[in-house]
Amino acid sequence: MKKINIWILGIVFSISAFTASPGYTQVPSSEPVVGLRDNTPTTTVLQGGTIVVGPGHIIENGDIVIQDNVIRKVGVNQRVPAGAKLIKLNGHFVYAGFIDAYSPTDVDRTPATNGAPYWNDTVTPQLSVAAVYDSDESVNSQFRNQGFTARVVAPGMGIIRGASALVLTGTSENNSAILKSNLFQHIRLTVPQGRGRDQYPNSPMGAVALARQAMMDGAWYQKAWEAHQSNPSNQRPERNDALAALAPVLDASQSVVFVTSDEQYFLRADRFAKQFGLQAIMIGSGYEYQRLSNVVATKRTVILPINFPKAPNVGSIESARAASLESMMHWDLAPENPGRLVAAGVNVALTTQGLNNRKDFLKNVRRAVERGLSQEDALASITTIPAELTGMGSLLGKVEKNYLANLVITSENVFEDGSKIEEVWVAGERFEFSAPPLLALDGRWKLTGDLEGSELILTLSGKGPALEGSVSIQNSAAEETTVKLSKASIRDTRVSAVLPADQFEKEGLIRFTLTFVDAEAKQGIGQWIATDGSSGKFTAELLDAAESPQEKTEPDADDDAFESLAASFDVNFPLGAYGRSSKPTQSKLLLLTNATIWTSGPAGTLENASMLVDQGRIVAVGVDLKPPRGATIVDLKGQHLTAGIIDAHSHMATDGGVNESAQAITAEVRIGDFIDAHDPTIYRQLAGGVTTSNILHGSANPIGGQNQVIKLRWGATGEEMKFAGAPLGIKFALGENVKQSNWGDEYTTRYPQTRMGVEQIIRDAFERGRQYKKDWTQWNATKKGVPPRYDYELEAIVEILEHKRWIHCHSYRQDEILALLRTLEEFNIQIGTLQHILEGYKVAEEMAAHGAMGSTFADWWAYKYEVIDAIPYNGKLMHKAGVVVSFNSDDDELGRHLNHEAAKAVRYGGVEPAEALKFVTLNPARQLRIDQFVGSLEPGKHADFVVWSGDPLSVFSRCEQTWIDGRKYFDRQEDIASRMTLHKKRATLIQKILMSGEGMVGASAGPVKEAELWPREDLYCHTHRHTNQCLHAGLQKGRLQQLMEIINQEQMQQQQGEK
Amino acid sequence: MALTFSLPMNCQTIQNGSLSMLRNTLRAKRLIAFTIACFLFTMPAVAAVPEVPGPKQDHPIALVGGTIHTVSGKSITGGTLLFIDGKIAAIGQELNLPSNVEVIDVTGKHIFPGLIDANSNMGLVEINAVRATRDEREVGSFNPNVKAHVAINPDSEIIPTTRSNGVLLCLTAPSGGVISGQSAVIQLDGWTYEDLTIRPGAGLHVTWPLMAPVSDWQLTGNAKDSANARDKNMKNLEEFFNTARRYDEARRNDPSARIDLKLESMRDVLSRKIPVIANAENANQIQAAVAFSVRQKVRLIINGGYDAIYCTDLLKQHNVPVILGGVYRTPRRADDFYDLPYEIPAILEKAGVQFCIASDGRFGASMVRNLPFHAGTAHAYGLSIDGALRAVTLSTAEILGVENQVGSLEQGKDATLVIADGNILDIRTNVEAAFIQGRRVDLSDRHKKLYYKYDQRINRQAAEQAEK
Repeated sequence: MKKINIWILGIVFSISAFTASPGYTQVPSSEPVVGLRDNTPTTTVLQGGTIVVGPGHIIENGDIVIQDNVIRKVGVNQRVPAGAKLIKLNGHFVYAGFIDAYSPTDVDRTPATNGAPYWNDTVTPQLSVAAVYDSDESVNSQFRNQGFTARVVAPGMGIIRGASALVLTGTSENNSAILKSNLFQHIRLTVPQGRGRDQYPNSPMGAVALARQAMMDGAWYQKAWEAHQSNPSNQRPERNDALAALAPVLDASQSVVFVTSDEQYFLRADRFAKQFGLQAIMIGSGYEYQRLSNVVATKRTVILPINFPKAPNVGSIESARAASLESMMHWDLAPENPGRLVAAGVNVALTTQGLNNRKDFLKNVRRAVERGLSQEDALASITTIPAELTGMGSLLGKVEKNYLANLVITSENVFEDGSKIEEVWVAGERFEFSAPPLLALDGRWKLTGDLEGSELILTLSGKGPALEGSVSIQNSAAEETTVKLSKASIRDTRVSAVLPADQFEKEGLIRFTLTFVDAEAKQGIGQWIATDGSSGKFTAELLDAAESPQEKTEPDADDDAFESLAASFDVNFPLGAYGRSSKPTQSKLLLLTNATIWTSGPAGTLENASMLVDQGRIVAVGVDLKPPRGATIVDLKGQHLTAGIIDAHSHMATDGGVNESAQAITAEVRIGDFIDAHDPTIYRQLAGGVTTSNILHGSANPIGGQNQVIKLRWGATGEEMKFAGAPLGIKFALGENVKQSNWGDEYTTRYPQTRMGVEQIIRDAFERGRQYKKDWTQWNATKKGVPPRYDYELEAIVEILEHKRWIHCHSYRQDEILALLRTLEEFNIQIGTLQHILEGYKVAEEMAAHGAMGSTFADWWAYKYEVIDAIPYNGKLMHKAGVVVSFNSDDDELGRHLNHEAAKAVRYGGVEPAEALKFVTLNPARQLRIDQFVGSLEPGKHADFVVWSGDPLSVFSRCEQTWIDGRKYFDRQEDIASRMTLHKKRATLIQKILMSGEGMVGASAGPVKEAELWPREDLYCHTHRHTNQCLHAGLQKGRLQQLMEIINQEQMQQQQGEK
Repeated sequence: MALTFSLPMNCQTIQNGSLSMLRNTLRAKRLIAFTIACFLFTMPAVAAVPEVPGPKQDHPIALVGGTIHTVSGKSITGGTLLFIDGKIAAIGQELNLPSNVEVIDVTGKHIFPGLIDANSNMGLVEINAVRATRDEREVGSFNPNVKAHVAINPDSEIIPTTRSNGVLLCLTAPSGGVISGQSAVIQLDGWTYEDLTIRPGAGLHVTWPLMAPVSDWQLTGNAKDSANARDKNMKNLEEFFNTARRYDEARRNDPSARIDLKLESMRDVLSRKIPVIANAENANQIQAAVAFSVRQKVRLIINGGYDAIYCTDLLKQHNVPVILGGVYRTPRRADDFYDLPYEIPAILEKAGVQFCIASDGRFGASMVRNLPFHAGTAHAYGLSIDGALRAVTLSTAEILGVENQVGSLEQGKDATLVIADGNILDIRTNVEAAFIQGRRVDLSDRHKKLYYKYDQRINRQAAEQAEK
C-alpha cells in the first residue's frame, strides 16, 4: 500500500515569502494615479518547468512568459525579454491554478442586502455575495495553500440562498478579486435541524414545499407586473426583490446550485430542477456511487466534496457489533466515488467543501487517484471543468496564452505522494511557500570553544524552521554522553537551541546560537549563555553531511497494490447488510400449488389450491388449476398463501421528517418528496408480509401534508417504490395533537386550541379553496386583471373539493369525528379514511352512512386522554355496522406482524377469520382506493402475496416469503442462508479497517446522515413520555425524539443532590 | 337472565358447552355445575357496575375434564384440579372430591397458571400523557426507598383489561434516575393495594448507565461528556452501595443510630433479600452489572437483556437470570437479523440461561395484556412450546421469588389460574374464566362494557333500519 506522506500536510506556509511581482498598475482601471506613477517592469519568465498546459497536455522543459497578470507566452525556449524577471523552475511542475466551485459563507442579512424580501426568511435569492464580499486573507491563504487561485463564494444559509461570486484568492481588492458577480443561485432543499416548532418550515418536506411555492411566486411576480404595466388600472403588485431575483433562474439563464446531503437528496433536487426547467448543478455528498446509474441519468454536473469518511469504530467487540456493514462499506467505497462518477461520464468538479480541514484536500485527491480517478480527470476537476462551469473557460483553468496568470508550481506531479506545492500565482501575484532551504542542515559538526569537556559533536537534522538535534560529549575518561537539544530551530542561517547544563557542570540550561557563514554549512561560529550568566564562544566544523532527505521513494503503483486497495464488495441496494445486488426477477408462469389460499376475494378460502402468476399479475386462483406448459411449479404443501399485507398508516421510509408542524395548514407539503428507500424498516416489514404501505404525514396540524402510497420494493429507489395508480391523498388530524395539548405549556397560542377551533379552521380552508378556485376560473375566462397566484396549499384543497384527493384523518373522539363528517358533507366531500378512529364504534352507523372507512389500531389505548375509551372491539363493531375496517401499524415494530393484529379481530368480538384477514389486506386496499390492483388474490390483480408457514392468523406461524409484482422480495430461507455471507463481509471489513491503521470514528465524531436527523415516526401520535422504557424500546425511533428523551433523562439525573 | 346476553364473546359458546356438560357429566351436582358455570362465564360481560373483587373462597371447587397445563410437570388431559381455601389441594386424573365440592365441568378447556408479567408500572400509571395519572418516577437519581406497592391504584382501568387476557400477576416497578425504587409482585384482584401485593420489595430497580454508545444518536454532546456522565453515574452507584454498607454496619453496631430512609432501605438489598433488577440491554452493561453484583455481593436480575445472548456463560456462572423486555421489538442494531428479537428466547433456552419473557413496557401498563403473544411469537421462532409457557409463568415466578406461591399448578400453591378455550399463547384463544387465590375473577372490563353498550346502539339502529 502506498504510504501517504503526512509531512506535506504539515508545511508551514509563510505568507511573508511572497514578493510583489509586477503589479496591477497596468491593468485598465478608473482609479486616478495619486503621487508618482509605478512603472516597475512587469514581465516575468518562468523557465524550464514541466508545464501541464491542461489535462493530458504537458510541455517538458517549457517556459512561461507572464506580463502583468496574464500569461503571454507558453512554450519551449522562450526568449527572456529585457528587464524581465527570470525564475528558474528546475523541472518543477506547473499547473493552472485550481478553482473551487463551491465555497459557502455566511452572508449577513441587513436591510441593505435584503431589499424588499420574501415573506419567509429562508428564501433570499436577492442576496448577492459580491455586494458584501470582503476578502479575508486568512481564508484565502487556506485555499492558496492547496493550490486554489479562484473560488466560488456562495451564500451558505437558508433554502433559496442568494447569488454567488467568483473571486480570486490573492490579496487584491474587490475590483480585481471579483471575477464574476451574480454567478449562480444557491438552493438547499432542507432546513437546519432544531428550528423551532413554530418556525415554518421546520422539516425538509416543508423546505421543498416552500421552495416550490417560491418558484411559482417568482413566475407569478413577473406576470403580475406585466399585467400592471400593460394596464395601469390593474392593481400594482407588491415590490419583492426576492421574487424579482428568481427571474433569471426561472428562464434558465442563471444556473442553480443545489446542495445535497446524500444521493437521495441529489435525485430529489434533480426532480425539483426538472419541474421548473432549471439549469442545475449539484453539490454532491460522496454517496453518489450508491445510486450511480440514477445520478448519471440526471446528466448534472457535480461539484464533489472529497471528505472521505473515517472508519467506523471496530476497536472493541461491542463497538464492532454496533458498526453497520453499511458504514464499513461506505468507508471502503467512498474513496472510489469520484473515480466511479467520472468513469460513468459525469462532469465532476472537486471542492474543498466538507473537509474538516482544507489541508486534507490534496491528500484526499491523491487517494481518489489511487482509487480510480485518472490524473487527467483529477486535474480537469479542479481546473478546466470548474472554469467552464463558471463561464470562465477562456480565462481560467489552463496554462495558455491570454489566460490569467493563475499557476500552481509543485515539486513533482501533484497527484503523487511526496509532491509539494512550491509556489502559487494568483493573477500574477506570486506566493512562495517553501523557499529552498538556504542550508542543508543534516549532518554532524565538531564544536570547539570554551565549553567544558574534551570533545563536543553537534548533530542536526530537519527541514526547518524546527530542527532535531543533540550534542554528544566525550569527557576526559572517554565516556560519551548525548544530550538532546530542545527548541532547536533555524532562521536564515542561524541555528539556535537549548540544552541542559549539567553535563557541563553548570546549573540549569545553556542556550546557544550558531551562525553558518558558508553556503554548505561547513563552518560556523556561535556563542552560548548559561542560566548562571556565564557565556562563551565556539566554532563548528562539519564532520559529515547526512544523505539528502529529499530521496524519492517510488510509489509502488503495481497492479497488485492497486488490487488490495480496491473496495472489497460491490455496491448493493441499499448499501449494507440486507441490500440486494439486483432487482428480483419477475416470474413467468409461476404456479404455486398445494396451499391453503386465503383469497380475501369472492372465492373465499380454498384448501389445497393453486395460484398461477405471470409477469407480475395473478392469472388464476383455484383448486384444480392445470399447470400451463413451461410453468414453474412451487409446491407449498402445508403452507398458507394470502394477499400481501397493506398498512394504511405508516411513517417509515421517510427521511424528510414526518411532521411539518409550524403551521396549522400545510397541505402543500408532500411525503412523496422524501421517500427513503434505505430505511431498514422496509425490509423488516417485508419480512412480516407487508407489500404496500401508506406513508402518512404526521398529526401535528389540522390539515397536514400529502401522503404517499408505496410498494415495499426493497432495493429500488424511492421513486420506484411509489405505487403507480394510487390516488392522491392528504393527512388531516383532529383533537389533542392539533390543539397542541401535549406539546408543553408554552404552546398555547397557535390557532386552534380547541376542538371547536379545529372544526372552524377546516371549514375555513375549504372556503378559501372555493374562493381560490373561483378566482382562477374567473381569470381563466377573462384573462383580465392581475393573475392569481398559484398556491400549492390551496391547489391541494381544491383537489379535495373536486374529489381528486382523499382525506385520511387522524381522529379519536366521536364528537370530532362527527363534526368533521358533517363539515365534509356540507362541502360535498366523502372522506377517504378515518385514521386511528378509536371511538369509531360510537358513531359507526354515521360513518357507514357517510361512506367513511376506518383504519384503526387493534388494541392500543390509554396512552393519552382522548384514547381513554379506545377498545379492542372497535374493529368488530365498525365492521358490524358496515364500515370498511382496517388495522394499521403507525409503528415500525407493529408493522412487522400485522397478521397478529388481524387475529385480534377474531379475539375481540369474534370476527370470522377470513374477514379478519381482510382487515390487513383487502380493506386497507379499498381504503386507499387501490383495490382494483391489490388487496386480494384474484385474477388480474398484482401478484403481491405472502407465503406463511401456517395459518396466517396464528401467532405460531411465520412469514416465509413476500412477493410484490411477481417478484420475490423476501425469502426467510434465503435470509437465513445469507447470514454467513453477512458475517464474512463484516469480518473482512473489520479486518481491513484494523489493518489500515487509519483512525476510527470516535464515539462522538460519527457522521450523522441527513436521514438520521429526522424522526421516522409521528412524534405527536402517541405522546411518548417514557424514558427508560424508550431506551429499551430500541434504536429505530427518530433520532430527534431519542435525543429529547435522553436529555430529559439526563436532566432528571442531574437533579439528584442527596447521596 | 345471563343467557339473554347475545354477544358472541363467551356466553354463546359456553352456553352450548354447558349443555353438553350436562349430558356428559355423571356427577351428582350436575345442576349446580350448570348454574355455576353459566354464572361464572357470563356474568362478567353484562355487569353494569365496576368489576367487583371476588369473594373469598368458602367451599372447595373442582375443575373437571380440562387439560391441566401444570407447567411444573406434565400436562394432564381430562384431569381434575381441586382447590380449597384459595390453595390448590390436588391435581390428578381420579380424585376423591370432598362432599361440599362445587364441580365445574371444563371439558375441552385448558387450565393454565395465571400468567405473570415482569415489566410494567401497573397501577402506577393510568394515562401516559396525563401527568396527574403518573406515579412511577420520583425526583432525583437515587430512590431506593420508594416502594411501588404503596402507590398502586387498585381501581386502575388497566387492571381488568389485563386479567381478561389471562395475565393475573405482574411486577410493577418505578422507573427513572439511577436507582428508581422497589418493585412489587401484585395479583390483579383485590380491594386495596394490600390485597393486591403478594411480594413487596421484589427488586431494587437500577438503570444501568450506558457503558458505550451503541449508536451515535445516543450522544447529546461529545464522547467525552458522555463518558464523564457514565463514569460519574458508575462512581455514584458504587459509592452509594459502599455507603449503604457502612451505614448497615453502624446500625448493626448501634441500633439507636439515626435512621436514613434511603440507606435503611438498602439493608435488605445488601443482605440479598431483595435483588437488584438492572435495566441493561447492551453486552457491556450486562457484563458491568454482573461484575458489580459480584463485587457488591448482591443478587442480580438483568432486565431488558437484548444482548444476554452474548453473555450466556457469564450469566450462568453467576446465576444471573434475565427478564427479557419483550419479544415484539425491533432489531437494535442495523445489521441484526430481522428476527433476532424473536429468537433471543430460543437462544437463551438453548444456552441454559434462566430467563422469562415480559411485555415490552410500551404505553405504561396498557399493553401488558399482550404478554402471551410475546411468548407465542418466541415459540414461532424456535422457543419450545413448553418453554414459551414457562417463560410467562413459572420462570417469571422463580426469578421474582414467588415460585412457592404462583407460577405453576401444583398442590399447595395459590389457586391463581386461567381457563381458556385453547392455547393461551395464541391470539385467537378466549379466556373464559379466572381465579385468583381461589376467588373468582370478574372478567368484565371497561372495554367489554363499552363494547356491550355500543353494540346495543348498532343493534337498535339495525332493528330500526329493518323496520323501515
